[in-house]
Amino acid sequence: MSDPLLSVRNLQVSFDVGRKGLFGKPQQLRAVRGVDFDLMPGRTLGLVGESGSGKTTTAMAAIRLTAATGGAVQFDGHDLLSLPEGEMRKQRKHLQVIFQDPYSSLNPRDRVGAVVREPLDLMDVGDPAGREARVRDLFGLVGLRPDQMSLFPHQFSGGQRQRISIARALATNPRLIVCDEPVSALDVAIQAQILNLLRRLQDEFGLSYLFISHDLGVVQFICDDIAVMYLGEIVEYADRPTLFSKPRHPYTAVLLEAAPSLKRRKSSGYQREGMVKGDLPSPMNLPKGCAFASRCPVVQDRCRAQAPALREVGDSRVACHFPLS
Amino acid sequence: MTPLMSLRDLKVEFDTRHGRVTALSGVSLDVRPGETLGIVGESGCGKSITALAMMGLVPNPPGHVTQGVIEFNGEDITHAPARRLQQLRGGDIAMIFQEPMTSLNPVFTVGDQISEAILLHQDISKAEAAQQVIDLLDTVGIPEPEARAKSYPHQLSGGMRQRVMIAMAISCRPKLLIADEPTTALDVTVQAQIFDLMREIQAKFGVAIVLITHDMGAIAEMTDRVAVMYAGRIIEQGRSDEILDNPMHPYTRGLIGCIPVLGREAASTDRLPPLAEIPGVVPPLHLLGDGCAFAERCALADANCRAQRPLLVVKSHPVACHHAGVLA
Repeated sequence: MSDPLLSVRNLQVSFDVGRKGLFGKPQQLRAVRGVDFDLMPGRTLGLVGESGSGKTTTAMAAIRLTAATGGAVQFDGHDLLSLPEGEMRKQRKHLQVIFQDPYSSLNPRDRVGAVVREPLDLMDVGDPAGREARVRDLFGLVGLRPDQMSLFPHQFSGGQRQRISIARALATNPRLIVCDEPVSALDVAIQAQILNLLRRLQDEFGLSYLFISHDLGVVQFICDDIAVMYLGEIVEYADRPTLFSKPRHPYTAVLLEAAPSLKRRKSSGYQREGMVKGDLPSPMNLPKGCAFASRCPVVQDRCRAQAPALREVGDSRVACHFPLS
Repeated sequence: MTPLMSLRDLKVEFDTRHGRVTALSGVSLDVRPGETLGIVGESGCGKSITALAMMGLVPNPPGHVTQGVIEFNGEDITHAPARRLQQLRGGDIAMIFQEPMTSLNPVFTVGDQISEAILLHQDISKAEAAQQVIDLLDTVGIPEPEARAKSYPHQLSGGMRQRVMIAMAISCRPKLLIADEPTTALDVTVQAQIFDLMREIQAKFGVAIVLITHDMGAIAEMTDRVAVMYAGRIIEQGRSDEILDNPMHPYTRGLIGCIPVLGREAASTDRLPPLAEIPGVVPPLHLLGDGCAFAERCALADANCRAQRPLLVVKSHPVACHHAGVLA
């Protein structure tokens, strides 16, 4: 097997969130608590979890868009977290991002041709005429017409704007694209268009995706490997067939049970089983034991006392004292 | 069974800078007591306007109900006076919206906001209303209801806020609850909790629900019957099972096909095949021609489709497509 393109070890991210009172101790929110994963070239790793589970922070810290407070990241033989600024800037062209909201992630004052060209300008790739031709090609690649290059973002629909974001991400021929919930703001019919496009581009250019989503259907469609996150930790890590056929962590099972499916019918009296109660607990005062214990449908005494470490169970890695069989 | 809410050949038009456009055209549907009716389609298909019309809330200006009848419990409320509509809204007909943060007032406690609705519709004292609020918060599964009643909306999570909205909506025992994309802004686990709560409330109080969504999975799980809308018209309608198992309109097939399949059935080691796509986008209302509005995006479209709009005709269920017979 080849070496991973991106390899993350014991990644930690904390944020300062002010003090408790004027003379209180400064408080820290531990958003990412010791995350490990490997992303192989040409593959897609999904980071799944609820809002607040730390999936976006993990991805952004892995490509140094958020400062990590600990851990190591290897990208293509470079130690990303310790690279000097100038060297890091050279790596940026290999690391691109597609954001969730296609409305706020495009500059409303720039023509979309300029939006897509900007990474080339910033990285000083080729000459102006070559860049223009490249932008034209990119528009074709993502299913837009070159004559649309002179329009402004507000003249496009949500799906078209996401195509523009994809073209911008592709501009510098990156090797890794972080896709941060790229379809969750789109209508279902448009979602399918964008997902198919992302997969086609992956095949064509051998791209690797770090794909953030809370929608398990989307993840199952596009990801090869999946890391399920809960309160800043990976609680289950497996390849797609294993995760979806044998979910081991109760939280993964809950996510699967929660997602709507065409197979569950009101007419046949469908009742959901084992749903979690309440919301994600506050990351400010984490429990001593398993972070999921407060919502877990199969919690036992040991879970509240001792935090489970990620360990191998069958073909999965799972952080649970009592994994499902 | 007499329908609880009935729209007959409803037409709603809006004045825009492109002139007068038709947002709803010939929409007829019934909501029966105690059932859940789903209305499904992409953004811009007229789902929300249909819901607003049921509540007498089409904004005027720029909107006008120019044709058709809206009946609630046998009463024609199409042009009912504002006073009568105010009695119905929040009383017999209640609504919950997509974004619970913007539908709650940030400067009042949630308890005050729920009791306001109760005091408007029921002749009871403030103390009695306050007790009702606590009971309602308990009914919708909010822990420590006495304490939470004193919370402001920003102190609650998205799921809690939607529960507050549901508590407010059911405070006067409505016969009809209209839910406009109630879970779109929520996490999947919270969505499941809200759906479970809505089913529970229906079983307990027998309220009829109109669920507006773009997700066929939600339709399967939540509804008895469904109307599929496209560009301001109903293009297919029937029992949810029938529509999900035997869709006859290419648009309905597209909406079902474009959802990634989830779970053990799709856990094969092979790469999953590409999703069915509906190419393009919903056309702007001012550019609709005489033909089928879906023709631009339809693989089966021919000259006839572009020239002549198909009518809603009953095959095994009502569907508006020239090719419906061929598909079935």
